Amino acid sequence: MTIYFDNSATSPVDPRVAEAMALWHAKAFGNPSSLHSLGRAARESVETARERVAALIGAKPKEIVFVASGTEADNLALAGAVAASPPHRDGVIVSAIEHPAVLETAKALQGRGASLTLAPVDADGLADPDWFRRHVNATTRIVSLMAANNVIGTVQPIAEVAAIAREAGALFHTDAVQAVGRLPIDVGAAPIDLLSISAHKFYGPKGVGALFVREGVDLAPIVHGGGQERGLRSATENVAGIVGFGLAAELAREEGAADNVRLVALRERLINGVFAACPQAYLIGHRGRRLPGHVALGFSGQEGEAIRLMLALDEEGIAVSTGSACSASHAAEPSYVLRALGFDAFRARGAVRLTLGRFNTEEQVDQVVAVLPGLVGGLRRIATARS
Amino acid sequence: MLAQVELPGANCGACGYRTCGALAAELDNKPDLIERCLPRLAKAAEPVVKAAPDQACHSENFDVRQGAKSTWRDSLNREFDFYLEHFPEDPGPKEIIIPHNPMLTRELEISVGDLMLGRPLGMSCGCPITHCGVVVEVDRRTGVIVWCVTGPLGPRNKGFKDIGYYIAEGYEGLITDARVDINIGQRYFFQPRRCMLQWRHSGLVNYINRSKDGLQVRLEGLWIG
Repeated sequence: MTIYFDNSATSPVDPRVAEAMALWHAKAFGNPSSLHSLGRAARESVETARERVAALIGAKPKEIVFVASGTEADNLALAGAVAASPPHRDGVIVSAIEHPAVLETAKALQGRGASLTLAPVDADGLADPDWFRRHVNATTRIVSLMAANNVIGTVQPIAEVAAIAREAGALFHTDAVQAVGRLPIDVGAAPIDLLSISAHKFYGPKGVGALFVREGVDLAPIVHGGGQERGLRSATENVAGIVGFGLAAELAREEGAADNVRLVALRERLINGVFAACPQAYLIGHRGRRLPGHVALGFSGQEGEAIRLMLALDEEGIAVSTGSACSASHAAEPSYVLRALGFDAFRARGAVRLTLGRFNTEEQVDQVVAVLPGLVGGLRRIATARS
Repeated sequence: MLAQVELPGANCGACGYRTCGALAAELDNKPDLIERCLPRLAKAAEPVVKAAPDQACHSENFDVRQGAKSTWRDSLNREFDFYLEHFPEDPGPKEIIIPHNPMLTRELEISVGDLMLGRPLGMSCGCPITHCGVVVEVDRRTGVIVWCVTGPLGPRNKGFKDIGYYIAEGYEGLITDARVDINIGQRYFFQPRRCMLQWRHSGLVNYINRSKDGLQVRLEGLWIG
């Protein structure tokens, strides 16, 4: 039986979500744009899901645009904002540790003439609001700072940076793919203009996400066609996925707090257990300001062996990741996130990410803590240094 | 007790407590727990650590040894870049060595805890002083030995194994005082703090690790001077 500690890559679909989706896969196949009863039923289910997703982040239903993924939401936010920008605002500011969905989009916009600035982070991965105060100005179109980082779990001061952007007349976007469903996000309490969500990060299905677009924000579509989703995302809606997304959001709203209490306890048990058994282990990211179930570890002197460790854990039936799953195909490259934290090229190769979720148990944590020291001890060390 | 009104009242559980009130009740004993209040982070304009993305491996970030200012010159008046200290929990400077005849490691049944004598002959380091120390790791396949150089007192009292000449392949230690930025992949002149002759050495840094004690480094490709 696999112990799944990779919930930041994707989370298992909650059985209640799977059950709710099944009907829409099997029988209720109508197109939400159709006027007959099957179509109207599909429309109703989509709008119910929209209300649920909106409620999770304190938004109005009409501010939710369904898309196919968090990546698409990020693309729409940045590219759509720049495309609809007044000519004197060509500045794009994103943090250096954004997900590639933001970073690569920003670079593509730079290639089309936008002025791109990367915001640094400190050794814990925290962005500095003062840096944004100094750099966001009347030429800035959009500022993007992720709510929580996928590699290290650090939670960013997004409300403060959002306020800085608002004051300068720029839009503020946050890639909240890792945060929504895990942390309380209230777009009514902070001047967030655009916010990306992905369903499969919180026990919903893959292939569906959403972009929160605050009422009044001027955004151009990047997918053109039949004008669905208020013209911002043409394409027939993924009804089953959206239904599952809606229920996952509802469950997160109702059960998220209880999940978090349990996840923090598991996280601390895992961290303390690993530290007690592996003196060379060190935690990456901020100790307190991190996602409830997120643990990023390095093993001093053995950073070059992270891949070997991941594979050894896999042989033991324990699924973890090195860095982010999205960059797994580039595992030979030092993580740009850790490089941005100030890690040298060698240590930047060394993060092992264990991310806990709703279905993990204390027994699983204890099993990992029991197995890990032996596996780490069997790895080649480049040096005998300790953290 | 920190008043509950200072907490956001989100009751989100992200701190590990079911309610803000439960967290507030713990803060008197564990004030650091406030850092786990993520909604508070989201709402409050808290100052965060100043961004310093390129400095985590730079020597100026670490505690600098207090006391007399170094002249950064060895006993022969040659300049060097940093002092190499030994790890505080080790009995002396850590060296990775190999006997000139690596078979000696097996023939002498070198084991962890053994006391040894030897001299770092030749181009690996060239120090004319016989060293004494205690073995901390052995690889009998390759003959490589890791030891901590101590002094002659132990071998005198407890006996020793003599490996004759050896090659010093690497040093590991701490940098707490440097006059330049330390970067992986670069060669430096350095002064082992306990070098009897106080001669500068040179070596290539191929490992850096930040710790509360200073920069942990490994140096290979060692030369004196």
